[in-house]
Amino acid sequence: MATPSDGKATDDDMFKIIKTSTNALGPRRARLALPGRRAIETPHYLGLTSRGIIPHVSQDNFESLMDVSGVYIALEDFIERAPQKVPAILKFARQRPVDPLRRFVALPDETLLVVGARRTPPLAAPAANSNTNTSVAISTAIGFKTLKAEDYAEDVELLKPDVVIGLGDIPYERALSSKRIEKAVDRQIQWLKDHVTSRQQVEAEDGTSCKLFAALLPVSCANQQYYIECLTGEARDDIHGLAVYDLETLSDLPESLSDLPRMGFNDSKTPHDILRNVALGIDVHAVPILTIASEAGIALDFDLSRQDRSSGILPLGIDMWLTGHATDLGPLAKGCTCYACTDHHRAYLQHLLNAKEMLAWVLLQVHNHAVMDRFFAAIRQSIDRGTFDADAEVFARAYEPQLPAQTGSGPRLRGYQYRSDHAGETKKNPKAYDAFTKLDTPDTVGTPDEAEVAALTGSIRPAEVK
Amino acid sequence: MPSAQPPDPMPPKPSALTFNLLARCSTTKARASLLTLPHGEVKLPIFMPVATQASLKGLTPKQLEDTGCGLCLNNTYHLGLKPGQKVLDAVGGAHKLQGWKGNILTDSGGFQMVSLLHLATVTEAGVEFLSPHDKSPMLLTPEHSISLQNSIGSDIIMQLDDVIATTSPDNARIKEATDRSVRWLDRCIAAHKNPESQNLFCIIQGGLDLDLRRQCCIEMVARDTPGIAIGGLSGGEAKDAYCKVVSTCTDMLPAGKPRYVMGVGYPEDLVVSVALGADMFDCVWPTRTARFGNAVTDFGVLNLRHASYAEDFRPVEEGCGCKICLPKDKGGLGVTRAFVYHTAAKETVGAHLLSMHNVFYQLGLMGRIRQAILEDRYPEFLKAYFQKLYAGEKSKYPDWAIGALKEVGVDLLQG
Repeated sequence: MATPSDGKATDDDMFKIIKTSTNALGPRRARLALPGRRAIETPHYLGLTSRGIIPHVSQDNFESLMDVSGVYIALEDFIERAPQKVPAILKFARQRPVDPLRRFVALPDETLLVVGARRTPPLAAPAANSNTNTSVAISTAIGFKTLKAEDYAEDVELLKPDVVIGLGDIPYERALSSKRIEKAVDRQIQWLKDHVTSRQQVEAEDGTSCKLFAALLPVSCANQQYYIECLTGEARDDIHGLAVYDLETLSDLPESLSDLPRMGFNDSKTPHDILRNVALGIDVHAVPILTIASEAGIALDFDLSRQDRSSGILPLGIDMWLTGHATDLGPLAKGCTCYACTDHHRAYLQHLLNAKEMLAWVLLQVHNHAVMDRFFAAIRQSIDRGTFDADAEVFARAYEPQLPAQTGSGPRLRGYQYRSDHAGETKKNPKAYDAFTKLDTPDTVGTPDEAEVAALTGSIRPAEVK
Repeated sequence: MPSAQPPDPMPPKPSALTFNLLARCSTTKARASLLTLPHGEVKLPIFMPVATQASLKGLTPKQLEDTGCGLCLNNTYHLGLKPGQKVLDAVGGAHKLQGWKGNILTDSGGFQMVSLLHLATVTEAGVEFLSPHDKSPMLLTPEHSISLQNSIGSDIIMQLDDVIATTSPDNARIKEATDRSVRWLDRCIAAHKNPESQNLFCIIQGGLDLDLRRQCCIEMVARDTPGIAIGGLSGGEAKDAYCKVVSTCTDMLPAGKPRYVMGVGYPEDLVVSVALGADMFDCVWPTRTARFGNAVTDFGVLNLRHASYAEDFRPVEEGCGCKICLPKDKGGLGVTRAFVYHTAAKETVGAHLLSMHNVFYQLGLMGRIRQAILEDRYPEFLKAYFQKLYAGEKSKYPDWAIGALKEVGVDLLQG
């Protein structure tokens, strides 16, 4: 919150560490509070958006059926024809400079908006389309494009999210050679400095700017030493948090950066991964498993504080496709109080999936996010109690290591979910319709046959072959 | 005409509705009424959105309720296949299945004869069709249609009728289908197990042959069902022929029962059909067209997938009171056309947003129609509606609408 002395919120106001572990690497409790937004108790998670909304969750449902405190939005979802054509969202931001990103995606005032360049998880660019000294490869609705570092800095400041993740030279899906790390370090330093300079101009003009989180390379701090020195040195006052892409980076994080909030963008695929991240001190977590599970037809069902350990190793979720649910009027997960579990039941979910109705994914998103809300609430309580390590250990033994396998089909694949690697690939989505074939029986239109009519009282039954 | 004659005199038939006629337009045949069904009152005239498979295309029952809907459709044919009768019985019907507190109307499955014609063959016994699952031949009889609708537990159930395309050139076949529909109504009435809790509506057939329609009306009315539907329309016939059929039928129908024209949903068709004396309508169009990125407005249909909307920062429809269009400071979301463009056909949310707007629009239109009838200014409403829709260009008004409304005393081109 703003202090009277300088009119600017200080880092201390924004991020307050409530409890930290004795060793440098360990779970911690904190509060992330940005002006005008709901304060977020950490550890917590961010909802992950696609084109500005959490997939399948319209904004009214987001507001009334969910309790998501913050979301992550990728700039690449909005800028397909840039720079040749100024993206609509930037024109919107120039016309309506008050909170433009929030107004454009129509999310509530209290929701924390975090913007980065790439989606989470991102679609890795083809080798031929790699990052350069001045740009990164992005995936847009019309294919892979490049995003210039200077354009990124300018665009995100114009959109005024609450938090912006500095552009990172992250080589998704590829290992960094030592030579490549050297190059990446140089780029990170340059991009960060340029972004800070660009922000200073914006701030001079309208007095506000969003919080800048520096992207760390997915290697240890020792391996990106010059960049870390820049962060602890000249750039220290210009950054408000860190974006972590690999847990290795936390292993030797310098003490002078420890009071900054850490957002984790490493690909956590299970709640076990989330607990590992928490254990190493990630504060805010990007968790792709929510939408992945929902689209697979899986209702998550895990709980850090579950006492009942009698029934052997528990599954992390329930496959709602299974026909066994067809007449089950129980909630998706026992004891869950979300809208999907209180107003609906397994039988409806099973029917919706089976009938390929979009509402299935809506209800699963509502439920799965509620499960994640409770999971993080339990994590925070566990840290408060000082029992986190023990609780995480019990959890690891109690639950299966992976989510149940997907058995039914999900929504149509969208362009951001796969990459075409060569010409002539088969279609990713099967054809929804086939030509109907005519019933091959003679025309039987005629006067009623009394006996025939009298015989027909039963159910839809196989017609007699004529 | 049908061999089976209804007993005469008829004992009063059980019914699970009350129908109160509140007002009649002093010029046209439009009516405003209140229909009380087992799951609550609904105001007529009404548009009923179609939740084919027990779900309104991505919207929660709560969102559907928020659009003002108190009566929606389910499809017997689809629910009979998925989740199937056994599941419906075990769950306790479609209301429980989908968590819907309002009313449900189910069609009989008869319309699939037209829409899936090359899949189906009609005999006196029923409709033969190929199972969409394994292509094995199946048979849907009037008895089974009613049995399924009893299991669904819908508040209004429809008789199985022999539907053929109104555009069919085969007059003998049309006559046969009409007579058969009457015979099938008798079988449906006999098979109906819950007349105290579910209202069986008959369906007037007869193609575009007005005499046949009149005869069918006499036969069907004599069977004294709680409500009456006019079926077999909306299958590609000329609009003026459609209007003549509706108007001919409403002249024959008792004033004290609701009249439902099946499969109609374009706004122009709604405002004209109400003037011709119809009360209830259903159509998949508003939600289907939403999935194609189309928004229904007083100014016509906007295709928001068109690039011209990419930078259009106005609401979907200026002045609309739906959650999507209402600005933030009035409790809405303040979604712009540009955002719909950004998500239409790319995220399911794009379809959800437009479905909400379009359903709200259709229900709101019926509400405005009703208010105009109650205040006896429906002719003025009609003129203003067409004026806005065609931006004042009377030369663009469709001839069928001008003609049909002239028949009921409204000259769209005057004033």
